[in-house]
Amino acid sequence: MTKKAWATILILFGAATMGSAQSRAWSLMREIVLVPGVSGHEGPVADFIQSHLPAGLKPERDAMANVWVTVGSGRPVILFVAHSDELGWTVDRITREGHVRLKQGGGILPQTVEARPVIIHTAKGDVTGIVAPRPGYDERITPGEAKDEKPFTAESIDIDLGVSAEAEARALGVAEGDTVTARKTFTDFAPGLMATRAVDDRAGCAALLDTAWRLKPGAVKGRTIILAWDVQEETGLFGAAELAKTLKPDVVFAIDTFVSADSPLESKRFGFLPVGGGAVVRAIDSSNVTPKTEIAKVLAIAGRRKIPVQVGSSRGGNDGSVFLAGGAVDIPLSWPGSYAHSLIEKIDRRDLEALSDLILALISDWK
Amino acid sequence: MSTRMTKVLLALLAAASLVGTARAADVRTITKELFAVPSTTGNEDMLAAKIRSLLPKGAAAETVGLGTVAVRLDGAAGPTLILAALDGYGHIVSGITADGYLTLDRPVPAPHGRFDAFLLGQPVVISTAKGPVQGVVAQPAMHLLTPERRRTLVEGFTLETAYIDIGARSDKDVRAKGVRLLDPVTYPAVLTELAGDQWAGPSLGVKAAAAGLVAAVGDLGARPGGQETILVWAAQTKFPARGRGARPAVGAAAVKSKWQPKRTIVIDVIAAGPGGGPPRLGGGPVLVTAKDEPSELRRAVESAAAAAGGPLQFLAAPDSPLALPFDAPPGDTVTLALPVRYLNTPSEVIALADLGALRDIVARFLQPGGGR
Repeated sequence: MTKKAWATILILFGAATMGSAQSRAWSLMREIVLVPGVSGHEGPVADFIQSHLPAGLKPERDAMANVWVTVGSGRPVILFVAHSDELGWTVDRITREGHVRLKQGGGILPQTVEARPVIIHTAKGDVTGIVAPRPGYDERITPGEAKDEKPFTAESIDIDLGVSAEAEARALGVAEGDTVTARKTFTDFAPGLMATRAVDDRAGCAALLDTAWRLKPGAVKGRTIILAWDVQEETGLFGAAELAKTLKPDVVFAIDTFVSADSPLESKRFGFLPVGGGAVVRAIDSSNVTPKTEIAKVLAIAGRRKIPVQVGSSRGGNDGSVFLAGGAVDIPLSWPGSYAHSLIEKIDRRDLEALSDLILALISDWK
Repeated sequence: MSTRMTKVLLALLAAASLVGTARAADVRTITKELFAVPSTTGNEDMLAAKIRSLLPKGAAAETVGLGTVAVRLDGAAGPTLILAALDGYGHIVSGITADGYLTLDRPVPAPHGRFDAFLLGQPVVISTAKGPVQGVVAQPAMHLLTPERRRTLVEGFTLETAYIDIGARSDKDVRAKGVRLLDPVTYPAVLTELAGDQWAGPSLGVKAAAAGLVAAVGDLGARPGGQETILVWAAQTKFPARGRGARPAVGAAAVKSKWQPKRTIVIDVIAAGPGGGPPRLGGGPVLVTAKDEPSELRRAVESAAAAAGGPLQFLAAPDSPLALPFDAPPGDTVTLALPVRYLNTPSEVIALADLGALRDIVARFLQPGGGR
C-alpha cells in the first residue's frame, strides 16, 4: 500500500473517530431534554448528569443539586457552567372538579400550551393532562378583537386530567407542589437540525458532558478546570450564587442559549446570528459585557483550530455574571438558538459540536 | 337448570363478553390508525385509502365524486344512508418566502375565532407528495418581546404573522423538500391518553366517528335482509355551500344528490357541554334531531341503542351543516353524534365508552332486524 493510501485511511479513521465523539453531544442532548427538571426540582437531571460522566471523574453535588467535577490544580481556575433547570410550573391547587391550577411563572408563553398536553410529575409517576382552552374559545371573535378579553396567563391554565373530582385527581398521585412541564416532542427538520422544548440549557449540559468524555485529565496542567451543572438559573441564578460561595474562578465560561433573531418574526437589528453558523461568544447580554480582549482570545484559539465561532449581542442573562463580583471574568459561550423559551427551541448539531470543540480548545489553550 | 346448562350459559356469557372486548379493542385500533392519517378538506385521499384498506374484503367499496368513500349493502327498498365525515379542519401552504418560510391559509372558514391562534409556536406536519415534512410555526423569542410585539404577535396572532419554519434557507430549499403550494398542514398526530379512558388529539373527534362507522361495518359481510344501505365517508364536509341562509356542507349535499336517501343517519361530532354539562362526555352518543318529534328512523336508532345496551343522550338542535341537506321532507334524518370536549382545538377529547357505544348502536342497526 502506498503512503498516500495509508494517509487516506488514517484521515478517514480520524474523521470517523471525531464524528463519533461529536455526535455524542447531540445524542446526549436528545436524551437529557426529556428529563424533567423544573427550577428547584433538578434532582433527576443531576442524577442523569452524574450517571453519564466518565468513571474517572469524581462528581461533587450539593444540597441544591448543583453538580461539578474538578480536574487539575493551581491557577488559573477556569469554570465552565451550564444550567440544568428548565422552564415549567408547579401545582398550586386541585379544584373540586379535579382540575389542576398552577402557580404564577413558567417563563413560556402560556398561549402555547393552551389546548395542549402537559405532564404533571408526581411522586407516583407522570400524569398527563390537557390545558383547557379558555372559556368561550369557540366563539366567532378573533384574537385581539374582544374588548374585555383577559390575557391568558399561567393563572389561566386549567389542567383537565380526565377525572371529575378532586379525590380522583389525588388518587392519580397529583399533589400541590408537583412540577408541570409541557409535553416535549422532537421536530426533526433534517438530520442534525431539530426543535424541541428545553434545548435551553440542556444543550449546554450535553456540551459539558461531551467535554467531560473528551477531556484527558493528564493534559490539564498548571490550571484548574471545573465543569459545573447548576440549578435554578431560570428563576434567578440561584444555583450559580450558591456555587460562587465556594468556587472562586478567575474565568467563567457560562454555557447557555444565545437568543438569536434568526426567525421570520424578529428584527435583524441585533441578535441575528444564523442557526448553523457555529458556536457563539455572547459579547453583550442582559447581565454581562465581555471584555473585547477576552473575545479576541477566544476567537484566536478557535481560529487556530478552525472552529466556527460567531460573536453577537442579544438579551437574556447568564450564570457567569454571578461570579463578576468575586473578580472573575465572564465569557458566555453559546449556540445560536431560535424561538428561545418556547416548545420549539431550534438548534443545529454543527453549532453544538462547534461549542463542544471550543470548550475543549479553551481548556487546552486558554492562558 | 342443570349444572351442564349453567356451565354452557356461563361459557356463552364469557364468549359474549370476549366479543365485546374484541369489539372495543377493534374500534380503538381503528381509531388510532385513522388518527395517524392527516385529512383536511380537499386532501382526504390518504384517509379515504386507509378506510378502504380497513373495510372487510367482501365490501364493495367505491370512491366517488369529491373523494367520498361508499359501501353499498344491497336490500329491497331504500336507500338508507349512514354518513360520516372524512375531513377535519386544517391549513394549507399558501406561499413560500424567498428566505424559505411557508405562509398559511385555510381551505375552509375557521370553525371559531381562535382556531388559527392555536398554531403559535407549535410543531406541524406538511403532507407533501414526497412524504411528510416536519416544521414549526414561528413564535417570537420571549427575551425579545416588547409589550407592543406581545400584543400583535402573541395575543393578536393570526395567519398574517404565521410562518412555518421547516429548516430551509430559501424557496429552492423548500421545493427540494417536496413542499408545494396547497399542501395540507396539520398538527402531528400525537395521541394523549388521559385518565378515565379518555383520549385527546388533533382532529380526533372526526377520526373517531369515522372509525366508529368502519368498526360497525366490521364483520358485516353480505348479511341478507333490511333495506339497501349506503355507508358513506364523505369528503369536503367542512366546506359550506355558497348562498344565503343555512349553508349545508358541500360534501354532504353531493352525497344527497347522488343517492337520494329516504332515511339518513348522520354520524357527527358534537361539543360536550362545558363544566360537565349536557351533552356529557362519557354519557353516551347523542341522538340529535332538528325537531323533537317521533320518527320511524329515530325509533329504530333508539331500539338499536337499547339492544346494544349502551347509554344514549338526546338533544333537539338545529341541523348541523352535515345533516342539513337531508332534512327536506320526506327524508327522515337523525344525527348520532360523538361528544367531544374541546372540539376544534389541537386536543379534542373523546371518551372511549362513547365511541364503543356509537359503534355498537350502528352495528346493531345494520344487523337483520336492527332497524336497517
